[in-house]
Amino acid sequence: MAVLLENLNQFLSAIAGFLTPLALFHVSWSTLLGIIIGALPGLTATMGVALVTTLTYKLPPDLAILILICVYNGAIYGGSRSAILLNIPGTPANAATTLDGFPLARAGLAGKAMGIATSGSVLGSLIGMFFLATVAPLLGNYALRFQSFEFFWLAIFGIVISGHLTAMEDPMKGWIAGFLGLLVAMVGQEGIHAYERFTYGSTDLLGGFALIPAMVGAFGFAEVMSVMRSPAAEVVQEARDSIIPKLGEVFRYWRTIIRSGLIGTIIGIIPGVGEDIAAWVSYAAARRKSPEREKFGKGSVEGLMAAETGNNACVPGAIIPALTLAIPGSAPAAVLLAAMFIHGVRPGPMIMVESPQFVYQVVAMVFFSTLGMLIFGLTLTKPLLWVLAVPRTRLMPVVFVLCAIGSYAITQRTFDIWVMIGFGIFGYILRAMKYPMAPMVLGIILGDILDKNLRRGLILSDGDLTPFFTRPISLVLWLVTLSSILLSIEPVRRAAQRVAEAVWPRRLREEGG
Amino acid sequence: MVKADFVTGLALILVSLFVVFESWRMPRLEHLKVHPLSVPGLVPAFLGIVIFLFAVILVIRSVLAGGHRLALSIQATPRLLSQPGNQRLLVTAVFSIGYAGFLVGSIPYGLATGLFIFAFMVIFEWRRGMTRREYLRLGLAAGILAVGTSALVTWAFESLFLVTLP
Repeated sequence: MAVLLENLNQFLSAIAGFLTPLALFHVSWSTLLGIIIGALPGLTATMGVALVTTLTYKLPPDLAILILICVYNGAIYGGSRSAILLNIPGTPANAATTLDGFPLARAGLAGKAMGIATSGSVLGSLIGMFFLATVAPLLGNYALRFQSFEFFWLAIFGIVISGHLTAMEDPMKGWIAGFLGLLVAMVGQEGIHAYERFTYGSTDLLGGFALIPAMVGAFGFAEVMSVMRSPAAEVVQEARDSIIPKLGEVFRYWRTIIRSGLIGTIIGIIPGVGEDIAAWVSYAAARRKSPEREKFGKGSVEGLMAAETGNNACVPGAIIPALTLAIPGSAPAAVLLAAMFIHGVRPGPMIMVESPQFVYQVVAMVFFSTLGMLIFGLTLTKPLLWVLAVPRTRLMPVVFVLCAIGSYAITQRTFDIWVMIGFGIFGYILRAMKYPMAPMVLGIILGDILDKNLRRGLILSDGDLTPFFTRPISLVLWLVTLSSILLSIEPVRRAAQRVAEAVWPRRLREEGG
Repeated sequence: MVKADFVTGLALILVSLFVVFESWRMPRLEHLKVHPLSVPGLVPAFLGIVIFLFAVILVIRSVLAGGHRLALSIQATPRLLSQPGNQRLLVTAVFSIGYAGFLVGSIPYGLATGLFIFAFMVIFEWRRGMTRREYLRLGLAAGILAVGTSALVTWAFESLFLVTLP
């Protein structure tokens, strides 16, 4: 109880710290910008956070991270607008929203759909925020037990799980993308003996590929090309009914809200998976449990609520491992993590020792962004409709200009513009061949962790591999990793299903036995 | 997709073999008396081997699905290029790379940015049979967007974020 009160006290102090006109001004413009970025098809949350990072260099760390979290949370919510009104998800996280959001809009209930999406996003974000405040300190303290062996497996676990969940149809493509990301991270001076790997005399490559230009390329330039290649979208729906949701209608689905919030947060905590998977899993769970499952896909309020609660709950969830383990839970969280390092914040297991108040500051940042989402979401319906009407031929060149200057601005090297272009082309090709981007990004972040910890672990054990497999946390991590790989092989999965059926028959499971 | 997988698999095999070869060539730093398991080439070699294994599986899988019958033909190229989506993609890529890779740094940043936005908008919004009035309207809109964006971005990065523009 005393710990809870202490946590609450720290959270309230952090809230009070941001109650200044300057901080509130930053919350307002950045949340609004996030919503606009999310609402515009082709501009994703990752791209938004990456681009806005380049605008925050001169700001103090707390304000810079506040802005980025507002953009992140706002963008995941903003994507629901185009999902409902255009039947095109503004960000990949809103793909599940289109299933019921667009049919509702087509039935003349666009306002209601946007109101439900806003309620779901706000409640999901608050549920995720609660777990961020309670789980992050616990995980941070627990992570202090991690040694090189555990960090090595955590890196492999992250890549394998992220690869599996982001490429469900063909997990091997997810793993290849992840391992390619790890390989990209090998370029440059390594961290133990300062040997220059794969640099071939280039001074530009000494520090390796910077994450922000790589992300801006993979998510920005690749997206610009992708948007320009696809046929133009048109706004086909507009809101004529009220957007203010009825409380009774929202809380009628309290079970769905809590379930989706929990699912979203848990998926957020899993490294490199992200908001799109959170929305799909929440949606599928809601459909399975709903007494009105036949309405799903035809304009179900519950389905829309589940998808939007799940994706926004994932945002604080994805920040939990980024803060406590320096391993991002999603692609936008990966950029956020990079931005924290740029601003001199050192996330990782030591955060609860070195700066525990920062964790509560982040919780307060999520709270303010949620508040901004609620206010702008319910008030700025018409202006957001105008934004959706901006033709891509006018928006995309401006986005690309920002991609180029944003990549350049970090270290002021034209080399980083080429990095952005290279990763843009590479990312576009990989995406066209169904390789997911999230594991690759995670790989670029985890490369250094994997490299140092495998070698350190081997030095500590004097070449003995046993501790990598027998220490309790390592044991769990490699077992889960191996199971994930084995279960993606069809004959193994069928055999596992047969064993599960023999041990615990479906009939008993359905009866809850 | 199986054909693309076959080609990707072959490319990945080449990349992974190159990585393993380069990792093997990396120094063992014996003269520094470092632990033999901390050598710089260890992790890249490990990653190269994992990617090699995945690539071999990818190739075998695609061969079993007939992906090795590439049936490449010169005639397919004009057909691909005649698709409007591919044309838009090609123009976007050429314009963007031309701007960021070559124009930026060669001429003043504001001018390069303005030219890029103007040209991008005009080329994509131009239609056959436009009236003189429509031409003027398009030119004016593109000009305003180009000048406005260029001035705003230049001012923001140069004066606000104190970046020395390329």
